[in-house]
Amino acid sequence: MAMLEEKTGMASKAEQETAFASGNEMAALAAAQINYHIMGYFPITPSTEIAQLLDQMKLRGEHSIQLIPADGEHGSAGICYGASIMGARVLNATSANGLMYMLEQLPVQSGTRFPMVLNLVTRSISGPLDIHGDHSDLYFALNTGWVILLARTPQAVYDMNIMALKIAEHADVRLPVIVAYDGFFTSHQKRKVRHFKDRSVVQSFIGERPTNFPNAADPKKPITIGAHMNGDDLINNNYQQSEALYRAQEVFKQVAREYAALSGREYPVLDLYRMEDAEVALFLLNSAAETAKDVVDKLRAKGIKAGVISPNMIRPFPAEEIRSALKQVKALLIGERADSYGAHGPNMTHEVKSALQEDKENKTIVLSRVFGVGGKDFYAEDAEAFFQMAIEAMEKGCAKKPFDYFGHVPGRPEKRQTPVMEPMHGDAFKTGLIQVTPDGKTKRLKVKIPPLRALTAKPKRLAPGHGACPGCGIFPGLELFFKGIEGDIAVLFQTGCAYVVSAAYPYSSHKQTMVHNLFQNGAATLSGMVEAFFEMKRRGELHVSDDVTFVMVTGDGGMDIGMGSAIGTALRNHKLIIIEYDNEGYMNTGSQMSYSTPMGHMTSTTGVGKTQRGKAFHHKDTPQIMAATNIPYVFTGTEAFPQDLVKKAAKAQWYARHEGTVYGKLLITCPLNWKSEERYGEQILKAAVESCFFPLYEVERGKTTITYDPEEKNRRIPLSEWLKYMGKTKHLLKEENRDLLLELEQEVERRWRMLKAKHEHPYL
Amino acid sequence: MPILPKTNDLGFFEIRLESIGGLGANLAGKMLAEAGVLGLGLNGSNFSTYGSEKKGTPVKSFIRFCEPDVEIRAHSPIEQPHVIGVFHEALYKTVDVVSGLVPDGIVVVNSTRDFADIRRDLRLKYGTLAVVDALGIAVEEKTKVNTAMLGALFRVCDFLDPEAMKEVIRKTFSKKYPHLVESNIRTFERGYREVRFQTYVAPEDARGKTFTRPEPLLGYETQEIGGVIVANGNSVFKNLSGSRQGFLPRWEAEKCIHCVACDNVCPDFCFVWEEGVDKKGRKQMFLTGIDYQYCKGCLKCVEACPTDALIAEREVLGFAEQNSVKHKFPFAAGGMNEWRC
Repeated sequence: MAMLEEKTGMASKAEQETAFASGNEMAALAAAQINYHIMGYFPITPSTEIAQLLDQMKLRGEHSIQLIPADGEHGSAGICYGASIMGARVLNATSANGLMYMLEQLPVQSGTRFPMVLNLVTRSISGPLDIHGDHSDLYFALNTGWVILLARTPQAVYDMNIMALKIAEHADVRLPVIVAYDGFFTSHQKRKVRHFKDRSVVQSFIGERPTNFPNAADPKKPITIGAHMNGDDLINNNYQQSEALYRAQEVFKQVAREYAALSGREYPVLDLYRMEDAEVALFLLNSAAETAKDVVDKLRAKGIKAGVISPNMIRPFPAEEIRSALKQVKALLIGERADSYGAHGPNMTHEVKSALQEDKENKTIVLSRVFGVGGKDFYAEDAEAFFQMAIEAMEKGCAKKPFDYFGHVPGRPEKRQTPVMEPMHGDAFKTGLIQVTPDGKTKRLKVKIPPLRALTAKPKRLAPGHGACPGCGIFPGLELFFKGIEGDIAVLFQTGCAYVVSAAYPYSSHKQTMVHNLFQNGAATLSGMVEAFFEMKRRGELHVSDDVTFVMVTGDGGMDIGMGSAIGTALRNHKLIIIEYDNEGYMNTGSQMSYSTPMGHMTSTTGVGKTQRGKAFHHKDTPQIMAATNIPYVFTGTEAFPQDLVKKAAKAQWYARHEGTVYGKLLITCPLNWKSEERYGEQILKAAVESCFFPLYEVERGKTTITYDPEEKNRRIPLSEWLKYMGKTKHLLKEENRDLLLELEQEVERRWRMLKAKHEHPYL
Repeated sequence: MPILPKTNDLGFFEIRLESIGGLGANLAGKMLAEAGVLGLGLNGSNFSTYGSEKKGTPVKSFIRFCEPDVEIRAHSPIEQPHVIGVFHEALYKTVDVVSGLVPDGIVVVNSTRDFADIRRDLRLKYGTLAVVDALGIAVEEKTKVNTAMLGALFRVCDFLDPEAMKEVIRKTFSKKYPHLVESNIRTFERGYREVRFQTYVAPEDARGKTFTRPEPLLGYETQEIGGVIVANGNSVFKNLSGSRQGFLPRWEAEKCIHCVACDNVCPDFCFVWEEGVDKKGRKQMFLTGIDYQYCKGCLKCVEACPTDALIAEREVLGFAEQNSVKHKFPFAAGGMNEWRC
């Protein structure tokens, strides 16, 4: 942390309060005090909290930022870009794959010179998914042309967020700014912090929104933004941007000086801890540097001249400051929470080395270590080990191993994984009890299934021992569906609860082959799997039965961010099934709203209060969207109507084998985030069907059939009979929200009538 | 005058809470930390184990306190705490909850059992054992376990001010749930008052409970490339019974009509079926029992059962082990035994 107020002895001009808060809380507080116009966002751990906190603060009237839930990070970056083009003040927050998904937009934002602020809560990017902290996402941002500030503590997160906007909007800069801080270590750990009591202090520090730059908001000044160029012109645009980015360092220094006078907290370009006479030093980004400072004190007590360097800014890279900090240092170890594979050292190693190369006198021995990836803890002992390596290099006068990993272990050969169960495939999953026959006249399928009791003879596709919450509706829904599928399956699970709880390395709850891919791209990935399988079969290279059903499993979140991929797959009509378990929210990241969340329902980003009453718009009708792609079979189902679901699964399999793409939506309960009793899962789903919120139907070769009509059976219940089960909808039953309930009822009724019409009419 | 009774090398007094997701240990940790930092002006930090942990899975919450002039730079989890709070007793079966406890440390356990039994199960040699029936109090007061545990923890951390905490509880609940204020204050007070102590004095040279940083099962020489798992289905070796929060379903075979309603709704695949012959001599599937190793106690099956063959019951220690009917998985010969819990 920068010096505490007491230590600087400076009288701060503005009144401040003490709080106990995490990095994400401080980012949200700064944003609320700034009162940005727009935040476009998409939930991703560990940055998601910022949008959630801002939603809660908005309910309390603490800001008036328009919070726009995008369909994915690419969309969120688009929203932010559009808003910044209008001259608005714009905020975004993301992590890891979220940054990767919006990466394409970042050079556009900087290259067209529209300022904004992005909180990058750093997290691992990797093949095997890891949701914990490291700097592999941050390193991808290095070439985007954004200013990059680092915040080692929750206090710094607050301070940097305030400074960031001022720097971004400065006439000499006019560039977007990233404030990067460590996922979980800084984003989630609560510390004692100070913040301005009055938001007007923050707002007057940053100043008025600059209006003297090109923007798209004023029809009196028509401009063209984003014309394309050739190299002769682009070189000049790039040069302008390069110069602006270098100027950002001087602007940072100036803004930090002003901020120190206001707050009493100083942020130099380089945070130097006991470096004045240091002979051995560590160069570390963010939270790890703090841990290392304790070790420096310990080593200093033993007479070892140790120090730590940690930059507060890495774009522009403070090369000059680093050269001067390292003048007397005999050995430096650069510890990095990410690698630049194949480059003989990660990014900071090369940038520090290249800074030193320009100092002909410099004799510092540089070691480089990759450590602490994927949230692997960095203990004081680890910092000590780093210093030991540096001391050894100093004493020997050379680095035995300039670049290496730290903290990796070989493992014991006897622990190597081997299969624990006999592979189950083919006949193991065939009962022969399910019959599907095409009816030549109606062009539809006839399905006969045995009593479900007989189907218990078929093993479940998933093994017990998965880590879902008690009462989770995902697995009963999926297993009932799989009951109707005979023979082998190859499944792809998109990111979401079902994947996370069933495939936590080194454990798997899958009996047959399971693949995970990120949830914006699962359908395309499965398309590739299917086509490769049949092409290799066609060439006679694959000697396995072709009796395989390809299934993609996704949540409703995956059908938001992955909608494009799913529609593309459906339009190409690959022979596969997309099965969606819909729990009406992004439950895996902490119950943020999805487009499937019904209107008025409470989630962690659609709170209920005076200014807002749950989600503002109606739930997405995904089955109808998918039906519009004219795939052979679309259906809905739930565990509360098991025979109905098993029959539909059997049909789905037939169509996926013979004709093309199938899409099915299962409504499932999430007791944790629906705030409902675990034991009532089945009743809740039954009520959803009987209130006509979730009609059971199928669209077979374009023909809609309602497979369970509660009106016909005289079982229709009012919508409130479903809503009463759930804490997330309790407010809808209150007198003051009658209009809202009515609006939801009308929409449910409209969709139900539309279905009825389609059911009755062959051409609809 | 220092406020904290004792501190480690870095000047920290450290508390670790051991719980499962859903019991509110995270919130209790936050409230404890705030009481020290905002109430007493101490410096402090608080965080939990992170990730997409689901309800019912083990979680830890950490609280570090130090005098106001000490800086907190450590981010790592607390390994050698002065105080441990165990919110969920059954955790000791799968987690070494007292790992690293200092010799004169204090463990607060939510339990109704005797000191001797708990001490044996926790393998606690020295230190003070504090026992409180937090679940009992919460059930009686219709509140939550974490408030009762918080009361007991305040008694243990006697440098904190319980009156200030009651004020926080009052403020927290009066905004949204005014009718819950008094019951929560009572829950806190009862936790504070009803916690019982037994000290096992450590000799001068006693060493604290050892702690180990678990090494991964696989390393760079033994992981399959690309993170591939070749032991599909190995989650069957996991024991999820620690996720139950006091209740489980009991099956009465004679009332069962083998209709599959329970199996259709069970999220955790606990029902065990076997082929048999019915009265008419036809092949038929029969339910043979429940594999409690995987049962998280959601009780959906009890609701689904049309004949009262499944009954919700308060779990008694040992019942599940005695009445479990194990699944018969097609284990491979030579499959790794190390995976079994």
